[in-house]
Amino acid sequence: MSWRNELLAVWAVTLRNALMGARNVFFFFELLFWPVVGVLSIGLMSRFLELTPAQASFVLVGTIALSVINVCQLEVAYAVLLDVWSKSLKHQFLAPIGIRHLTLGSWVVGMVRSSVVFLLLAALGWWAFDFEVLRPGWLALATFLLGCFLTAWVVGVAVCALITLFGNRAEAFAWATVNLVLVLAGIYYPVSVLPEWIAAIARAIPLTYFLDAYRSYYGFPSEFAAPVATGLALSVLYGALAHWAFLAAIQRARRTGLLLKMSE
Amino acid sequence: MLAIDARDVEKTFRSGWFGRRETPALRGVSLTVERGSIVGVLGPNGAGKTTLLSILATLLTPDRGRVLVLGHDVVREAGVLRRRLNMASGRPSFLWSLRVGEIIAFYGRLYGLSGARLRRRVDTLIELCELGSYRRVPYSDLSTGLKQRVALAKSLVNDPELLFLDEPTLGLDPDVSVRVREHIARLRREQGITIVLTTHYMREADELCDEIAFIKAGRILSRGTPGELKRQIRLGEVIALRLDPPAVTWLAEAPGVLRCVEADGWVECTVDEAEKRLPELLRALHNDGVVIRNVQVREPELEEVFVELAK
Repeated sequence: MSWRNELLAVWAVTLRNALMGARNVFFFFELLFWPVVGVLSIGLMSRFLELTPAQASFVLVGTIALSVINVCQLEVAYAVLLDVWSKSLKHQFLAPIGIRHLTLGSWVVGMVRSSVVFLLLAALGWWAFDFEVLRPGWLALATFLLGCFLTAWVVGVAVCALITLFGNRAEAFAWATVNLVLVLAGIYYPVSVLPEWIAAIARAIPLTYFLDAYRSYYGFPSEFAAPVATGLALSVLYGALAHWAFLAAIQRARRTGLLLKMSE
Repeated sequence: MLAIDARDVEKTFRSGWFGRRETPALRGVSLTVERGSIVGVLGPNGAGKTTLLSILATLLTPDRGRVLVLGHDVVREAGVLRRRLNMASGRPSFLWSLRVGEIIAFYGRLYGLSGARLRRRVDTLIELCELGSYRRVPYSDLSTGLKQRVALAKSLVNDPELLFLDEPTLGLDPDVSVRVREHIARLRREQGITIVLTTHYMREADELCDEIAFIKAGRILSRGTPGELKRQIRLGEVIALRLDPPAVTWLAEAPGVLRCVEADGWVECTVDEAEKRLPELLRALHNDGVVIRNVQVREPELEEVFVELAK
């Protein structure tokens, strides 16, 4: 496939997801309602508990990361979910495209949407709770967002693989998986407070390192050496594994007939 | 030159824990299709028609057998092959919020079309499938017939050399069915597309197909042109008579008459050989004082062949 066709296939999926998102009222809730409710409730709780500004920033970073990753990973999962819901999956896999086009196209939309969520929540956090999202500087912020996007990409592709492997029954994974990842990655707390065996799992999650690196600018010393590099390396490794799993799941679905069962 | 060359294809679906429940769908199916022809795959429900089409279209992988489509192996060279074929189904489904034009354009992009070329292609297909007034209508707001036309338009977006149509007129009004059949015939006539279709409508198969493969319980039972199939089954020919008086009791016992039925004022006698039996019957009726008001001779309908083969 030429580069032009590669980009065109990615663009086709991007445009499709963007159009679907723009025309669905529930997507609006995903984009605005729940993220805003999350930041407001956590921010107010931090005020009630009389946390220091640094501690409040610590938990707000986690809350914002949760919303950013949630929105972005759902969009990646829509690469398959939209077709499963509309029972049009077979048309997609009849076309000469690869899973990279589906996941990348959806990821692009996910990054745009979750960037909007991030800007909104950052503004809300600054206005309501004096949370300074830019205190770590542009580069640190960009790295943190990249880490969130990469985590969302890995989780989203893994969800696509599970749905293709188990069918509609696995849809709940799309909603639940990311929350488990976030809990393990130390969303509201440093991973050092976790029991050792859970902390070991946390150390295998890329987001743990991106949260750690970003929070270090708010006065919480980093628990890891070279957290950004470790997070990036783990993201690439898991991204490749998730894509391999997705590909294997599609091949299995072609073998078992699940691809047809999930269509028409 | 062959568009499809499938040999001894087998497919079994497994379900339940550890795949213990097995449902054989295809049991050694062989099928060849000449380029530029329309071939119908007919058979009762659960015969394996859709499974066969799905394997040929690379949506399913066969358990055994060798399948070459347009010269490519459907398993090893599926990626190359997918550029050259397409498929439409009688139970189409697309993303509910996308509009007709957007659906066709989305699939067009997946096949490498962009810019002015994509716009021209979408326009052409919308015109061809008479969807002009519905271009901006969301898919969920379309009627069944319109959805099927969208599916047909989508299936032509890559100018396929080979088109699979799975019950293309299922549930359509008769007038819409006629138009869809006309589209299909025109595609072959004007663009030389090879078409493989499954259908439950015998008239559709009789009208469109150069050849028909009859499939039952995962095996192809019979194959040939509609005429050949009718002869193969030896259903005989039908002599339809309008008589006065309308009922003649001895007709069913006459030499060469296999059976006789009365319907709508006609007596339909299925005979072994119409050319030989017609003069004999007319003579006997005349001698019996029966007035013959009308006579028609016809081959049996394909539906009768279907019923016979499906037994």
